[in-house]
Amino acid sequence: MIKPLDVAAGSVLVTALVLGLVVPPDAVQGDLQRIMYVHVPSAWLAYLSFGLTLVFGVAYLRTRRIRWDHLAGASAEVGVVFTGLALVTGSIWGKPVWGVWWTWDARLVLTAVMFFVYLGYLALRRAFEDPEVRARRASVYGIVAVAQIPLVHFSVVWWRGLHQPPTVLRPGDPQIDGPLLAALLAAVFAFTVVYAALVSRRAEVARLEDLAAALPADGAVAGAGISAPPIVGGGR
Amino acid sequence: MIRHIRVLLAAHLRDERRAGEVGLVIIPFGLVALLVIPMAVGIDTPLLDRIGPGLFWAVLVLFGTVVTQRQSATEGDARRDLFTLLGVDPAARFAAAALAGTILLTVFAVVVGSVTMVLYDPTIPGAAWLALIVPLACAGIAMVGTLAAAVAGGLGTRSSLAPLLVVPISVPILLAAAQATEGLRAGAGILRWILLLAVVDVVLALAGVLTARPLEES
Amino acid sequence: MSDWGWVALAFAIVYGTLGAYTAALMRRAARLRRGVER
Repeated sequence: MIKPLDVAAGSVLVTALVLGLVVPPDAVQGDLQRIMYVHVPSAWLAYLSFGLTLVFGVAYLRTRRIRWDHLAGASAEVGVVFTGLALVTGSIWGKPVWGVWWTWDARLVLTAVMFFVYLGYLALRRAFEDPEVRARRASVYGIVAVAQIPLVHFSVVWWRGLHQPPTVLRPGDPQIDGPLLAALLAAVFAFTVVYAALVSRRAEVARLEDLAAALPADGAVAGAGISAPPIVGGGR
Repeated sequence: MIRHIRVLLAAHLRDERRAGEVGLVIIPFGLVALLVIPMAVGIDTPLLDRIGPGLFWAVLVLFGTVVTQRQSATEGDARRDLFTLLGVDPAARFAAAALAGTILLTVFAVVVGSVTMVLYDPTIPGAAWLALIVPLACAGIAMVGTLAAAVAGGLGTRSSLAPLLVVPISVPILLAAAQATEGLRAGAGILRWILLLAVVDVVLALAGVLTARPLEES
Repeated sequence: MSDWGWVALAFAIVYGTLGAYTAALMRRAARLRRGVER
Protein backbone atom coordinates (compact mmCIF):
# COMPACT_ATOMS: atom_id res chain seq x y z
CA MET A 1 0.00 0.00 0.00
CA ILE A 2 1.74 3.14 -1.24
CA LYS A 3 0.53 6.35 0.31
CA PRO A 4 1.09 9.94 -0.89
CA LEU A 5 3.59 10.53 1.89
CA ASP A 6 5.64 7.59 0.64
CA VAL A 7 5.65 8.96 -2.88
CA ALA A 8 6.73 12.36 -1.60
CA ALA A 9 9.46 10.82 0.50
CA GLY A 10 10.74 8.72 -2.35
CA SER A 11 10.87 11.61 -4.79
CA VAL A 12 12.64 14.05 -2.51
CA LEU A 13 15.07 11.33 -1.50
CA VAL A 14 15.99 10.58 -5.09
CA THR A 15 16.40 14.30 -5.75
CA ALA A 16 18.70 14.63 -2.77
CA LEU A 17 20.72 11.63 -3.87
CA VAL A 18 21.23 13.05 -7.34
CA LEU A 19 22.09 16.51 -6.05
CA GLY A 20 24.64 15.05 -3.68
CA LEU A 21 26.37 13.33 -6.54
CA VAL A 22 26.35 16.10 -9.15
CA VAL A 23 27.18 19.29 -7.26
CA PRO A 24 30.80 20.45 -7.47
CA PRO A 25 33.29 18.94 -5.04
CA ASP A 26 34.48 20.85 -2.01
CA ALA A 27 37.57 23.03 -2.42
CA VAL A 28 39.37 21.52 0.57
CA GLN A 29 38.23 17.91 0.94
CA GLY A 30 37.33 17.16 -2.66
CA ASP A 31 34.74 14.55 -3.46
CA LEU A 32 35.14 12.98 -0.02
CA GLN A 33 33.13 15.83 1.41
CA ARG A 34 30.01 14.49 -0.34
CA ILE A 35 29.60 12.11 2.58
CA MET A 36 28.30 15.17 4.37
CA TYR A 37 25.12 14.84 2.28
CA VAL A 38 24.24 11.64 4.11
CA HIS A 39 26.04 12.15 7.40
CA VAL A 40 24.63 15.53 8.42
CA PRO A 41 20.99 14.68 7.57
CA SER A 42 21.30 11.40 9.46
CA ALA A 43 22.65 13.20 12.50
CA TRP A 44 19.92 15.84 12.26
CA LEU A 45 17.25 13.15 12.16
CA ALA A 46 18.89 11.30 15.04
CA TYR A 47 18.37 14.35 17.21
CA LEU A 48 14.94 15.24 15.83
CA SER A 49 13.62 11.70 16.38
CA PHE A 50 14.94 11.81 19.89
CA GLY A 51 13.17 15.04 20.71
CA LEU A 52 9.95 13.86 19.13
CA THR A 53 10.06 10.61 21.09
CA LEU A 54 9.96 12.77 24.19
CA VAL A 55 7.13 14.93 22.84
CA PHE A 56 5.04 11.90 21.88
CA GLY A 57 5.71 10.35 25.29
CA VAL A 58 4.54 13.46 27.11
CA ALA A 59 1.48 13.60 24.84
CA TYR A 60 0.66 10.05 25.88
CA LEU A 61 0.96 10.81 29.57
CA ARG A 62 -1.36 13.78 29.22
CA THR A 63 -4.01 12.24 26.96
CA ARG A 64 -3.53 8.50 27.68
CA ARG A 65 -4.34 7.84 24.04
CA ILE A 66 -2.30 4.86 22.91
CA ARG A 67 -1.75 6.38 19.47
CA TRP A 68 0.86 8.73 20.98
CA ASP A 69 2.75 5.80 22.38
CA HIS A 70 2.76 4.09 18.99
CA LEU A 71 4.28 7.27 17.57
CA ALA A 72 6.83 7.45 20.37
CA GLY A 73 7.99 3.89 19.78
CA ALA A 74 8.05 4.43 16.04
CA SER A 75 10.07 7.62 16.40
CA ALA A 76 12.56 5.81 18.62
CA GLU A 77 13.01 2.91 16.24
CA VAL A 78 13.43 5.15 13.21
CA GLY A 79 15.69 7.33 15.33
CA VAL A 80 17.98 4.48 16.25
CA VAL A 81 18.35 3.66 12.55
CA PHE A 82 19.37 7.24 11.74
CA THR A 83 21.68 7.38 14.74
CA GLY A 84 23.41 4.21 13.61
CA LEU A 85 23.74 5.65 10.12
CA ALA A 86 25.15 8.89 11.51
CA LEU A 87 27.78 6.94 13.43
CA VAL A 88 28.72 4.71 10.51
CA THR A 89 28.95 7.56 8.00
CA GLY A 90 30.90 9.61 10.52
CA SER A 91 33.36 6.73 10.77
CA ILE A 92 33.56 6.28 7.03
CA TRP A 93 34.22 10.00 6.60
CA GLY A 94 36.81 10.04 9.34
CA LYS A 95 38.90 7.11 8.11
CA PRO A 96 40.31 8.69 4.94
CA VAL A 97 40.49 12.16 6.55
CA TRP A 98 42.17 11.25 9.85
CA GLY A 99 43.31 7.69 9.22
CA VAL A 100 41.25 6.25 12.08
CA TRP A 101 37.72 4.84 12.21
CA TRP A 102 36.90 6.59 15.45
CA THR A 103 37.96 9.83 17.03
CA TRP A 104 36.72 10.98 20.36
CA ASP A 105 35.24 14.05 18.74
CA ALA A 106 32.51 15.50 20.96
CA ARG A 107 29.76 15.10 18.41
CA LEU A 108 30.62 11.48 17.65
CA VAL A 109 30.70 10.63 21.35
CA LEU A 110 27.38 12.39 21.91
CA THR A 111 25.81 10.51 19.04
CA ALA A 112 27.17 7.23 20.37
CA VAL A 113 25.72 7.89 23.83
CA MET A 114 22.39 8.75 22.24
CA PHE A 115 22.51 5.49 20.30
CA PHE A 116 22.75 3.55 23.54
CA VAL A 117 20.00 5.56 25.17
CA TYR A 118 17.78 4.65 22.23
CA LEU A 119 18.72 0.98 22.56
CA GLY A 120 17.80 1.03 26.24
CA TYR A 121 14.50 2.73 25.48
CA LEU A 122 13.64 0.17 22.80
CA ALA A 123 14.67 -2.72 25.05
CA LEU A 124 12.41 -1.33 27.74
CA ARG A 125 9.51 -1.20 25.32
CA ARG A 126 10.09 -4.78 24.24
CA ALA A 127 9.98 -5.98 27.83
CA PHE A 128 6.34 -5.16 28.38
CA GLU A 129 3.42 -6.76 26.58
CA ASP A 130 0.57 -4.78 28.05
CA PRO A 131 0.28 -1.65 25.88
CA GLU A 132 -0.74 0.62 28.76
CA VAL A 133 2.10 -0.46 31.04
CA ARG A 134 4.59 -0.23 28.19
CA ALA A 135 3.37 3.22 27.23
CA ARG A 136 3.55 4.54 30.77
CA ARG A 137 7.02 3.16 31.53
CA ALA A 138 8.45 4.16 28.18
CA SER A 139 7.07 7.70 28.42
CA VAL A 140 8.61 8.22 31.83
CA TYR A 141 11.98 6.81 30.79
CA GLY A 142 11.85 8.91 27.65
CA ILE A 143 11.39 12.04 29.74
CA VAL A 144 14.25 11.16 32.08
CA ALA A 145 16.56 10.23 29.22
CA VAL A 146 15.90 13.31 27.12
CA ALA A 147 16.14 15.57 30.17
CA GLN A 148 19.66 14.25 30.62
CA ILE A 149 20.73 14.90 27.05
CA PRO A 150 21.61 18.59 27.46
CA LEU A 151 23.70 17.60 30.45
CA VAL A 152 25.39 14.84 28.47
CA HIS A 153 26.06 17.45 25.78
CA PHE A 154 27.74 19.87 28.17
CA SER A 155 29.76 17.21 29.91
CA VAL A 156 31.07 15.75 26.65
CA VAL A 157 31.77 19.11 25.01
CA TRP A 158 33.59 20.42 28.09
CA TRP A 159 35.54 17.17 28.26
CA ARG A 160 36.66 17.22 24.64
CA GLY A 161 36.89 21.00 24.47
CA LEU A 162 40.68 21.05 24.50
CA HIS A 163 41.09 18.31 21.95
CA GLN A 164 39.15 19.29 18.85
CA PRO A 165 40.84 18.49 15.58
CA PRO A 166 41.62 21.47 13.34
CA THR A 167 38.42 23.06 12.09
CA VAL A 168 39.19 22.70 8.45
CA LEU A 169 39.40 18.93 8.73
CA ARG A 170 36.31 18.41 10.88
CA PRO A 171 33.59 16.69 8.93
CA GLY A 172 30.42 18.67 9.09
CA ASP A 173 32.09 22.03 9.39
CA PRO A 174 33.56 22.81 5.97
CA GLN A 175 32.71 26.33 4.83
CA ILE A 176 29.95 25.70 2.38
CA ASP A 177 27.75 27.95 0.38
CA GLY A 178 25.95 28.10 -2.92
CA PRO A 179 25.21 24.77 -4.61
CA LEU A 180 26.81 22.73 -1.84
CA LEU A 181 24.59 24.34 0.76
CA ALA A 182 21.58 23.78 -1.45
CA ALA A 183 22.43 20.10 -1.81
CA LEU A 184 22.85 19.81 1.93
CA LEU A 185 19.55 21.49 2.72
CA ALA A 186 17.82 19.36 0.11
CA ALA A 187 19.21 16.26 1.77
CA VAL A 188 18.15 17.40 5.23
CA PHE A 189 14.66 18.14 3.94
CA ALA A 190 14.45 14.82 2.12
CA PHE A 191 15.53 12.83 5.15
CA THR A 192 12.96 14.64 7.26
CA VAL A 193 10.17 13.67 4.88
CA VAL A 194 11.50 10.11 4.90
CA TYR A 195 11.42 10.20 8.70
CA ALA A 196 7.75 11.21 8.63
CA ALA A 197 6.89 8.44 6.18
CA LEU A 198 8.79 5.80 8.16
CA VAL A 199 7.32 6.83 11.50
CA SER A 200 3.85 6.79 10.02
CA ARG A 201 4.38 3.24 8.75
CA ARG A 202 6.06 2.04 11.91
CA ALA A 203 3.28 3.46 14.09
CA GLU A 204 0.76 1.65 11.90
CA VAL A 205 2.67 -1.60 12.42
CA ALA A 206 2.57 -0.98 16.17
CA ARG A 207 -1.16 -0.42 16.04
CA LEU A 208 -1.62 -3.68 14.12
CA GLU A 209 0.61 -5.55 16.55
CA ASP A 210 -1.50 -4.41 19.49
CA LEU A 211 -4.64 -5.49 17.63
CA ALA A 212 -3.16 -8.88 16.80
CA ALA A 213 -2.03 -9.43 20.38
CA ALA A 214 -5.52 -8.67 21.67
CA LEU A 215 -7.16 -11.29 19.48
CA PRO A 216 -8.21 -14.53 21.17
CA ALA A 217 -5.73 -17.30 20.47
CA ASP A 218 -6.48 -19.57 17.59
CA GLY A 219 -6.16 -23.30 17.83
CA ALA A 220 -6.65 -25.65 20.69
CA VAL A 221 -6.44 -24.42 24.22
CA ALA A 222 -4.85 -26.92 26.53
CA GLY A 223 -7.40 -29.45 27.54
CA ALA A 224 -9.81 -28.57 24.74
CA GLY A 225 -8.95 -31.80 22.99
CA ILE A 226 -10.17 -33.84 25.92
CA SER A 227 -13.86 -34.42 26.19
CA ALA A 228 -15.73 -36.03 29.03
CA PRO A 229 -16.11 -39.79 28.66
CA PRO A 230 -19.65 -40.89 27.88
CA ILE A 231 -21.51 -42.15 30.93
CA VAL A 232 -22.54 -45.75 30.42
CA GLY A 233 -25.02 -47.33 32.73
CA GLY A 234 -25.71 -45.87 36.15
CA GLY A 235 -23.45 -43.79 38.40
CA ARG A 236 -20.85 -45.19 40.77
CA MET B 1 5.65 13.25 53.74
CA ILE B 2 8.98 13.74 55.51
CA ARG B 3 7.91 11.18 58.05
CA HIS B 4 7.11 8.68 55.29
CA ILE B 5 10.52 9.24 53.77
CA ARG B 6 12.22 8.70 57.12
CA VAL B 7 10.32 5.51 57.80
CA LEU B 8 10.90 4.09 54.33
CA LEU B 9 14.57 5.04 54.42
CA ALA B 10 14.96 3.22 57.71
CA ALA B 11 13.25 0.18 56.18
CA HIS B 12 15.62 0.17 53.21
CA LEU B 13 18.69 0.40 55.41
CA ARG B 14 17.34 -2.29 57.72
CA ASP B 15 16.89 -4.53 54.69
CA GLU B 16 20.52 -4.00 53.79
CA ARG B 17 21.70 -4.67 57.31
CA ARG B 18 19.76 -7.90 57.36
CA ALA B 19 20.71 -9.16 53.91
CA GLY B 20 24.13 -7.53 53.81
CA GLU B 21 24.19 -7.74 50.06
CA VAL B 22 26.04 -4.50 49.44
CA GLY B 23 28.61 -5.10 52.13
CA LEU B 24 29.22 -8.77 51.58
CA VAL B 25 28.72 -9.20 47.86
CA ILE B 26 28.74 -6.04 45.79
CA ILE B 27 31.63 -4.30 47.50
CA PRO B 28 33.82 -7.38 47.20
CA PHE B 29 32.79 -7.58 43.55
CA GLY B 30 33.98 -4.02 43.06
CA LEU B 31 37.23 -4.77 44.86
CA VAL B 32 37.88 -7.83 42.78
CA ALA B 33 37.39 -5.76 39.64
CA LEU B 34 40.06 -3.33 40.83
CA LEU B 35 42.36 -6.25 41.48
CA VAL B 36 41.77 -7.86 38.13
CA ILE B 37 42.18 -4.81 35.91
CA PRO B 38 45.94 -4.45 36.36
CA MET B 39 46.20 -8.10 35.40
CA ALA B 40 44.69 -7.07 32.10
CA VAL B 41 46.40 -3.74 31.46
CA GLY B 42 49.73 -4.22 33.21
CA ILE B 43 51.09 -3.20 36.59
CA ASP B 44 53.30 -0.37 35.33
CA THR B 45 53.21 2.09 38.25
CA PRO B 46 52.86 5.35 36.29
CA LEU B 47 50.10 3.75 34.22
CA LEU B 48 48.18 2.69 37.30
CA ASP B 49 48.67 6.12 38.84
CA ARG B 50 47.15 7.64 35.72
CA ILE B 51 44.19 5.33 35.32
CA GLY B 52 43.43 4.66 38.97
CA PRO B 53 40.97 7.47 39.69
CA GLY B 54 39.20 7.06 36.36
CA LEU B 55 38.80 3.37 36.98
CA PHE B 56 37.35 4.07 40.39
CA TRP B 57 34.63 6.23 38.88
CA ALA B 58 33.93 3.70 36.14
CA VAL B 59 33.59 0.92 38.71
CA LEU B 60 31.29 3.12 40.80
CA VAL B 61 28.99 3.86 37.86
CA LEU B 62 28.97 0.34 36.46
CA PHE B 63 28.65 -1.51 39.73
CA GLY B 64 26.40 1.11 41.21
CA THR B 65 23.60 -0.33 39.11
CA VAL B 66 23.92 -3.60 40.99
CA VAL B 67 23.54 -1.73 44.28
CA THR B 68 20.44 0.22 43.25
CA GLN B 69 18.76 -2.67 41.46
CA ARG B 70 19.34 -5.04 44.38
CA GLN B 71 17.74 -2.53 46.65
CA SER B 72 14.56 -2.30 44.64
CA ALA B 73 14.45 -6.03 44.12
CA THR B 74 14.08 -6.57 47.84
CA GLU B 75 11.10 -4.27 47.91
CA GLY B 76 8.80 -6.53 45.95
CA ASP B 77 5.37 -6.03 44.46
CA ALA B 78 3.36 -6.87 47.55
CA ARG B 79 5.13 -4.28 49.63
CA ARG B 80 4.68 -1.67 46.93
CA ASP B 81 0.95 -2.38 46.74
CA LEU B 82 0.75 -2.11 50.50
CA PHE B 83 2.31 1.34 50.41
CA THR B 84 -0.14 2.42 47.74
CA LEU B 85 -3.04 1.21 49.84
CA LEU B 86 -1.70 3.07 52.84
CA GLY B 87 -1.65 6.25 50.80
CA VAL B 88 2.09 6.72 50.76
CA ASP B 89 3.04 9.37 48.23
CA PRO B 90 4.96 7.74 45.36
CA ALA B 91 7.31 10.70 45.40
CA ALA B 92 8.16 9.87 49.00
CA ARG B 93 8.93 6.32 47.95
CA PHE B 94 11.26 7.61 45.25
CA ALA B 95 12.97 9.96 47.68
CA ALA B 96 13.48 7.26 50.28
CA ALA B 97 14.82 4.77 47.77
CA ALA B 98 17.13 7.36 46.26
CA LEU B 99 18.42 8.42 49.67
CA ALA B 100 19.03 4.84 50.72
CA GLY B 101 20.84 4.24 47.45
CA THR B 102 22.98 7.33 47.99
CA ILE B 103 24.00 6.15 51.43
CA LEU B 104 24.80 2.63 50.28
CA LEU B 105 26.70 3.88 47.26
CA THR B 106 28.71 6.29 49.37
CA VAL B 107 29.73 3.42 51.62
CA PHE B 108 30.63 1.45 48.50
CA ALA B 109 32.62 4.42 47.20
CA VAL B 110 34.53 4.94 50.42
CA VAL B 111 35.57 1.28 50.68
CA VAL B 112 36.36 0.84 47.00
CA GLY B 113 38.03 4.25 46.86
CA SER B 114 40.32 3.44 49.75
CA VAL B 115 41.40 0.20 48.08
CA THR B 116 41.96 2.11 44.83
CA MET B 117 44.36 4.37 46.70
CA VAL B 118 46.22 1.32 47.98
CA LEU B 119 46.39 -0.65 44.74
CA TYR B 120 46.88 2.17 42.26
CA ASP B 121 48.60 4.75 44.46
CA PRO B 122 47.37 7.84 42.64
CA THR B 123 48.50 11.26 43.78
CA ILE B 124 45.55 13.55 44.28
CA PRO B 125 46.27 16.98 45.69
CA GLY B 126 43.22 18.57 47.28
CA ALA B 127 41.67 15.16 47.86
CA ALA B 128 39.45 16.79 50.45
CA TRP B 129 37.25 17.93 47.57
CA LEU B 130 36.35 14.30 47.07
CA ALA B 131 34.26 14.58 50.21
CA LEU B 132 31.95 16.77 48.13
CA ILE B 133 32.35 15.09 44.76
CA VAL B 134 31.71 11.53 45.95
CA PRO B 135 28.31 12.11 47.61
CA LEU B 136 27.15 14.30 44.73
CA ALA B 137 28.05 11.58 42.26
CA CYS B 138 26.54 8.84 44.41
CA ALA B 139 23.29 10.78 44.71
CA GLY B 140 23.07 11.07 40.93
CA ILE B 141 23.83 7.40 40.35
CA ALA B 142 21.33 6.42 43.04
CA MET B 143 18.59 8.51 41.48
CA VAL B 144 19.18 7.15 38.00
CA GLY B 145 19.17 3.64 39.42
CA THR B 146 15.98 4.21 41.37
CA LEU B 147 14.26 5.63 38.30
CA ALA B 148 15.45 2.72 36.19
CA ALA B 149 14.21 0.23 38.78
CA ALA B 150 10.83 1.95 38.87
CA VAL B 151 10.51 1.95 35.12
CA ALA B 152 11.73 -1.61 34.61
CA GLY B 153 10.07 -2.96 37.74
CA GLY B 154 8.08 -6.14 37.81
CA LEU B 155 10.19 -7.95 35.29
CA GLY B 156 12.23 -11.07 35.75
CA THR B 157 14.60 -9.73 33.14
CA ARG B 158 15.08 -6.39 34.81
CA SER B 159 18.52 -7.35 36.05
CA SER B 160 19.86 -7.31 32.51
CA LEU B 161 17.81 -4.33 31.38
CA ALA B 162 18.60 -1.86 34.14
CA PRO B 163 22.32 -1.39 33.48
CA LEU B 164 21.58 -0.54 29.85
CA LEU B 165 19.02 2.01 31.01
CA VAL B 166 21.31 3.47 33.65
CA VAL B 167 24.79 3.72 32.20
CA PRO B 168 24.25 5.92 29.12
CA ILE B 169 22.36 8.56 31.07
CA SER B 170 24.97 8.42 33.82
CA VAL B 171 27.58 9.78 31.40
CA PRO B 172 27.41 13.35 32.75
CA ILE B 173 27.93 12.04 36.28
CA LEU B 174 30.88 9.91 35.25
CA LEU B 175 32.49 12.63 33.19
CA ALA B 176 31.95 15.33 35.81
CA ALA B 177 33.36 13.21 38.63
CA ALA B 178 36.30 11.91 36.62
CA GLN B 179 37.16 15.29 35.14
CA ALA B 180 36.89 16.95 38.53
CA THR B 181 39.37 14.43 39.87
CA GLU B 182 41.68 15.00 36.91
CA GLY B 183 41.27 18.72 37.51
CA LEU B 184 42.49 18.28 41.07
CA ARG B 185 45.55 16.46 39.78
CA ALA B 186 46.27 19.04 37.11
CA GLY B 187 45.61 21.98 39.40
CA ALA B 188 42.90 23.17 37.03
CA GLY B 189 39.46 24.55 37.78
CA ILE B 190 36.94 22.01 39.00
CA LEU B 191 34.08 24.36 39.76
CA ARG B 192 32.28 23.74 36.47
CA TRP B 193 32.30 20.00 37.06
CA ILE B 194 30.96 20.29 40.59
CA LEU B 195 28.31 22.65 39.30
CA LEU B 196 27.40 20.12 36.61
CA LEU B 197 27.07 17.38 39.21
CA ALA B 198 24.80 19.58 41.27
CA VAL B 199 22.64 20.44 38.26
CA VAL B 200 22.41 16.76 37.26
CA ASP B 201 21.28 15.90 40.78
CA VAL B 202 18.62 18.59 40.76
CA VAL B 203 17.31 17.55 37.34
CA LEU B 204 17.18 13.91 38.36
CA ALA B 205 15.47 14.70 41.65
CA LEU B 206 12.83 16.74 39.84
CA ALA B 207 12.37 13.99 37.25
CA GLY B 208 12.01 11.36 39.95
CA VAL B 209 9.49 13.30 41.98
CA LEU B 210 7.43 14.50 39.02
CA THR B 211 7.21 11.12 37.32
CA ALA B 212 6.55 9.12 40.47
CA ARG B 213 2.79 9.49 40.37
CA PRO B 214 2.28 9.03 36.56
CA LEU B 215 4.28 5.85 36.88
CA GLU B 216 1.97 4.40 39.50
CA GLU B 217 -0.24 1.59 38.25
CA SER B 218 -3.70 3.08 38.03
CA MET C 1 40.34 3.31 -1.69
CA SER C 2 39.61 6.36 -3.77
CA ASP C 3 37.54 9.24 -2.48
CA TRP C 4 34.62 8.23 -4.67
CA GLY C 5 34.93 4.73 -3.23
CA TRP C 6 34.35 6.03 0.28
CA VAL C 7 31.47 8.20 -0.91
CA ALA C 8 29.88 5.26 -2.70
CA LEU C 9 30.25 3.12 0.41
CA ALA C 10 28.59 5.72 2.62
CA PHE C 11 25.77 6.38 0.17
CA ALA C 12 25.16 2.67 -0.38
CA ILE C 13 24.94 1.98 3.33
CA VAL C 14 22.57 4.86 3.99
CA TYR C 15 20.23 4.49 1.04
CA GLY C 16 20.43 0.70 1.24
CA THR C 17 19.51 0.67 4.92
CA LEU C 18 16.62 3.06 4.44
CA GLY C 19 15.31 0.96 1.55
CA ALA C 20 15.68 -2.31 3.43
CA TYR C 21 13.99 -0.90 6.52
CA THR C 22 11.09 0.43 4.45
CA ALA C 23 10.66 -2.92 2.72
CA ALA C 24 10.73 -4.76 6.04
CA LEU C 25 8.09 -2.45 7.47
CA MET C 26 5.83 -2.93 4.47
CA ARG C 27 6.18 -6.72 4.72
CA ARG C 28 5.45 -6.70 8.41
CA ALA C 29 2.40 -4.50 7.99
CA ALA C 30 1.03 -6.71 5.20
CA ARG C 31 1.49 -9.85 7.28
CA LEU C 32 -0.17 -8.31 10.31
CA ARG C 33 -3.06 -7.02 8.26
CA ARG C 34 -3.66 -10.51 6.90
CA GLY C 35 -3.59 -11.93 10.41
CA VAL C 36 -5.94 -9.35 11.88
CA GLU C 37 -8.50 -9.56 9.09
CA ARG C 38 -8.80 -13.32 9.48
